[in-house]
Amino acid sequence: MKYEVVMGLEVHVELATESKLFCSCSAKFGSEANENVCPSCSGMPGFVPALNKRAVELGIIAGLVTNCEITPRITFDKKNYFYPDLPTGHQNTQLYAPICRNGYVEIETESGKKKIRIKQIHLEEDAGKLVHDYRTDASLVDYNRASVPLIEIVSEPDFRSAEEVVAYLEKIQSLFTFADVSDCKMQEGSMRCDVNISVREAGSSELGTRTEMKNLNSFKAIARAIEYESERQITAVETGCEEIVQETRRWDDNIGESYAMRDKEDANDYRYFPNPDIMPVYISDEWIAEVKTTIPELAEEKYKRLTEEYGLSDYDSKLLTGSRKIADIFDGTLKYVDNPKEVANWILGDLSSIVNEDNKPFDEIDIDYEKLGKLIKMVEKKTVNRTIGKKILQEIYTNNVDPEEYAREHKLGMIADTGFLKDIVNKVINENEKSIIEYKEGNQKVVGFFMGKIMRETQGKADPNTVREILVEELDKYKI
Amino acid sequence: MKNQYYVTKYDVKADNAFALEDNIMVKDGLTTAGSKMLHNYISPIDATVVRKLLDKGMELAGKTKLDEFAVMGVSGDNNELSGVVGAVLDKTCRIALCNDVFGKVRRQAAENCLYYIRPTYGTVSRFGLVQTVSSMDQIGIVCGDLDEGIETLSVIAGHDENDSTTQGDGSLALNSKGPLKEGKYTIGIPVNVMNKTDEKSKEAIKELASKYHTEEFELEHFEVLSQVMYILSSAEIGNNTSRYDGVKFGYRSENYEGLKDLYTNSRTEGFGLNMKLTSIIGAMVLSSGNYEKFYLKAMKIRRQIKEQCDELFKGFDAIAMPLTLDSQDPYVNLALYALAPLCGLPSLSVPLGSNNGVQLISQAMNENVLFDICKGGR
Repeated sequence: MKYEVVMGLEVHVELATESKLFCSCSAKFGSEANENVCPSCSGMPGFVPALNKRAVELGIIAGLVTNCEITPRITFDKKNYFYPDLPTGHQNTQLYAPICRNGYVEIETESGKKKIRIKQIHLEEDAGKLVHDYRTDASLVDYNRASVPLIEIVSEPDFRSAEEVVAYLEKIQSLFTFADVSDCKMQEGSMRCDVNISVREAGSSELGTRTEMKNLNSFKAIARAIEYESERQITAVETGCEEIVQETRRWDDNIGESYAMRDKEDANDYRYFPNPDIMPVYISDEWIAEVKTTIPELAEEKYKRLTEEYGLSDYDSKLLTGSRKIADIFDGTLKYVDNPKEVANWILGDLSSIVNEDNKPFDEIDIDYEKLGKLIKMVEKKTVNRTIGKKILQEIYTNNVDPEEYAREHKLGMIADTGFLKDIVNKVINENEKSIIEYKEGNQKVVGFFMGKIMRETQGKADPNTVREILVEELDKYKI
Repeated sequence: MKNQYYVTKYDVKADNAFALEDNIMVKDGLTTAGSKMLHNYISPIDATVVRKLLDKGMELAGKTKLDEFAVMGVSGDNNELSGVVGAVLDKTCRIALCNDVFGKVRRQAAENCLYYIRPTYGTVSRFGLVQTVSSMDQIGIVCGDLDEGIETLSVIAGHDENDSTTQGDGSLALNSKGPLKEGKYTIGIPVNVMNKTDEKSKEAIKELASKYHTEEFELEHFEVLSQVMYILSSAEIGNNTSRYDGVKFGYRSENYEGLKDLYTNSRTEGFGLNMKLTSIIGAMVLSSGNYEKFYLKAMKIRRQIKEQCDELFKGFDAIAMPLTLDSQDPYVNLALYALAPLCGLPSLSVPLGSNNGVQLISQAMNENVLFDICKGGR
């Protein structure tokens, strides 16, 4: 029997707003515990939520870049449950009138292009975080994340393989990072994904009983969890030794297994009802149009510009638009040096290898665009040669040095004085008479030998092309 | 200073002082909302209303007693005088502010020759008011002299960025004076309500009707108003008080093992009987399977009542209702007090007759009409 895996995704993405959804506390990640907390987001009485307009706008943008319809009148609902990370005893979310509906994104896998339908996107607030202190055996709660704005993107059950799931997540990541909706960092929890998964006989149109997989913290974990869970379900169907029940399962990536969760997520009746404290928000066509004009260039458009306007190769353009970070470095540097091809070469060549050696993901590096641009210009103008340029790049990368100052201080500037170079060339020629004879006999390899010696004499500060010109000229002058 | 109506009483001159129900916050002071749950809760802020009154040079007389979380019990004895009414009656302050959702203050004020202004929903900021029923919470004013009440309203009303349900300067109380339209006022009298009221109330309404042009009408859904009010308010109260769980602030039981115990014991020991009852009813009416039968149905009726009111105010400048029915049962009487909060309408309790009064209700933002009628205008 052949089986087909059917999956739908619920993706949570933290919005890139400055402040939280209902108060002015900072929404930034990585602060000291409970640093970004006020009476409002810690659930104290007497505070009324004041909706963050920017969060609504980012929700609109999320919908626009995923081809959704934007709901003209949105409302908020309360989802009730008790948990210490939830300060008010309810989560503000959107059950009845989510901000976006009926969209899709197009993904590309080895088997071709495919549309994944999006059922809805809704705005909601995040919860805090529980930390267990093993020394005192106490549970501590950090409300920094409480009330940080989120959107949840709910897909239709359109996925048939882990490959499609990962392609979709990468697409969402690309769309939302380029559109400034979110930084979509799985490792920091600003992007989280739950997978609803069921199996059925291939060709059947009925859906099997689904389970929901949680705690998927990387693309790798997602792929592994899907493989594990689909196999578990297929075995269950085939052998009948286990019944598949609709449940939430937690993935343990360390042991590579999932297990059924028995906690707040399962037993609850959420008792949703409309939140009377948050007035309905009307989203007019004018507002949508205005928000639309603020969406930065997306990866696809950028790719078009790189290939069509700059004439960069398909391959390079794909790499340069592969993540928001690398695209930013490219565009940022291009502002200082108007040579797309050179900028592409430097970023994809020298910079990439430096970053690789540093064992860092490209998205986490920090480099000054102006300094990088300056360096590329210096090489272009032959103020320094390429080999020295690469050294300086390393210095910019690790120590944020200014390339011009650095070259000056370390006397790395190229020797532009042709008279001086001529003297060195002649000195080297005279010291190696045997090689001149070889040259005269037609052995071109000798040129390389001379070049090496001369460059060593100049400590690499001469422009190789100039040196070569002088060298050939001087060699030809020799009469034996 | 000790005073039977106050939780905290300050030594200030009464003629320039206001009292607050102990669910309105004053910075660095206790705000208990009448509950053991908040017995140690120190407010981090001044409520917007407090800020505004202090800025006007008024002084705080103290914080008055109230039903736990301002939720009136619908069973048992409910005749104890409200702190705010007692405080004004006692002349320990000129005015007192409170959140009268369930009508106890509206009734008691009129019975004691005082006025109670309950403004249009969203007129006065709720920032710093301990939530009871978010869709009906509205700070109102108890006063002996109506003009003082009106002046207070003009101070505390207006938009507040900390409460997005507050409306701009729309309240007529703030900016309009004198007659609002030509001719005599027309006041609607709900005949089906009058049939169920007592003789005293009938007298009071009669007194009003002798001065104004009145028309009778049938108030739809009156027989289920208590239920609608009870269902919706319980749902919201249950939700608003679920933040009191012993985890972050307020009362925490000393006797617990594990999280569930902490919740259960803190809430069992921290809330009084009425709050427990309300929370259970609130959870019940929202639970799956019951939501449509109770909450949603009540919301539908609420909308129908609103629509009827919109229609009524095309013909009437105000409607007048009694403040007591021919029953002592607080649950039965709740029907009288439900209309204004359910529809967000302004109401004014007016003392009329002997130890009695009426409530006048107008369309939203028409407080001035109520004041004008009360003062005997046209």
